[in-house]
Amino acid sequence: MVTDPGLERIQRWMQACIEDQGTCEEAIASERARAAISAEEARSIVLPSKTLSSLERLDIYRGMYLLRMEEALSTDYPGLKHFLGDDKFMRMVERYVEVYPSRSYTLNRLGDHLPKFLRTLDDLPKKDFCCELARLELLLTEVFDAEDAPPLTEAAVRAVPPEAWETARLKPIPAFAIAEFDYPVSQYLGGVDEENPFPRIARKKTWMVAYRRDFNVSRHDLERPAYALLSALASGQTVGDAIVGTMTQRWRPAVKEACLFEWFRDWMADGLFQAVELAK
Amino acid sequence: MANRWGYPDLGFGIGLRSVHYEHVLNNKPAIDWFEILSENYMDTGGRPLHVLDQVAAHYPVVLHGVSLSVGSTDPIDFDYLRKLKALAKRINARWISDHLCWTGVAGHNTHDLLPMPYTNEALRHTIERVKTIQDFMERPIALENASTYLEFSASTWPESEFIAALTEQADCGILLDVNNVYVSSYNHGFDPKAYIDKIPRDRVVQMHLAGHTNKGTHILDTHSDYVIDSVWELYRYAHRRLGGVSTLLEWDANIPDFDVVHGEALKARQFREQEDLKLPAHAVDDGVPAYGD
Repeated sequence: MVTDPGLERIQRWMQACIEDQGTCEEAIASERARAAISAEEARSIVLPSKTLSSLERLDIYRGMYLLRMEEALSTDYPGLKHFLGDDKFMRMVERYVEVYPSRSYTLNRLGDHLPKFLRTLDDLPKKDFCCELARLELLLTEVFDAEDAPPLTEAAVRAVPPEAWETARLKPIPAFAIAEFDYPVSQYLGGVDEENPFPRIARKKTWMVAYRRDFNVSRHDLERPAYALLSALASGQTVGDAIVGTMTQRWRPAVKEACLFEWFRDWMADGLFQAVELAK
Repeated sequence: MANRWGYPDLGFGIGLRSVHYEHVLNNKPAIDWFEILSENYMDTGGRPLHVLDQVAAHYPVVLHGVSLSVGSTDPIDFDYLRKLKALAKRINARWISDHLCWTGVAGHNTHDLLPMPYTNEALRHTIERVKTIQDFMERPIALENASTYLEFSASTWPESEFIAALTEQADCGILLDVNNVYVSSYNHGFDPKAYIDKIPRDRVVQMHLAGHTNKGTHILDTHSDYVIDSVWELYRYAHRRLGGVSTLLEWDANIPDFDVVHGEALKARQFREQEDLKLPAHAVDDGVPAYGD
């Protein structure tokens, strides 16, 4: 029997069937699929082959859809997958793409809503940790894909008159992220991707900077004062204000001038900044 | 030049994949050309683009996309086209290809190459979109026959004739995926050689080869293995009809060392050379001389 409901209805129906998480029968009977083509009409949309029924042929596309989504998300969220395990991660993917199907020509941004989505789940083990881990992994994908920019050269730094530093601003490279977490998620990810020892998963403030240098993404843990200073600089504060702000915090006794020099030296060596903007 | 645009026969290339980046950059292997998956390089300023710039400085590169969604009833995504055009310009892409398929509607993207119903409506719709896309891109595009796993009862055209009509009326090129012809012929029970006979040779700018996974009841186009003998034979047949066309080996899962993939691509050269020794051959049954006549 020939059924031609038209191109648009066929496409809406087939996509509804592919994206539905139930069985093929359930997918055809779903509200979205029936909005395009009635369940009765749908039975003659796809021809059977000599070896497969219509539903079995449709099911090939349905099965590949979820595998593709899982593959994309596991590339961006290896830590979360490691923590949840393959089965729980797959179930999470199924639920995620139901709420946030891909709307882009690239799968690279499929996982952009994952940290926020995890917050909505009631049955996620150690949910707060998972959300923080996902937030870290999303940041790393953004650093990976950010525009490239050459870091400040030593000559450019030396060219700044000493008296100009107080009112100067340091502009971070685009492939830069700094974040505070409620769990030791960066250490956890180090256990996954570098086989470092895994930390105890317990609430603990941690601070991290991630950046890309020579097209490789790196990340370092920061002490809280270093995080405060680097955050202030990255947010556009002058070098003077950022240092004063850091040194007047309650941790002041622990921060020696030598620390400041060490941090700036490390950050310059890591290439975290692309320009010094001098006050006019 | 066998094709109407004068696109050259680039020889035998492979798809550039990230697992081979270091090998390619460090060893500059003697390979004729590379094809890249366009979308992997469109929204990144990171390592992939950096590697691509270096590769494009040494080798001819062709853009091959998976998200053009030329058959979709959604509006054309001009933001995507703008980025594709910029990428093509950046690396001096020899040509741009994608698939005869749709990937999503209602703003969604399933990231699959979904089959078209081969109807008059779909033909008219796709012709108009191809024309619009080519006008925007200011160059012809080539469309690949995708592997398909189902057929619509609404179809009134055989796929090969649909492609011939589409590419003639939209004035675009064809990327003939020989493995896909084989896969779809297995899945739908048609004669793969008859399919190739219907392809207008002056529109074919490139051929694809790949391995697949035979599940018994159907074949999946997995690009995960060596090319099977039947597909090599079909490639030989396609070469006899189409002449020297740029040929590309795809390997996307369980990817072995670069030399293995390259070696598989170079087998195509042997088939072509063996076949060329047999030419001149015969006039084919559509009355149009085969390559070499």
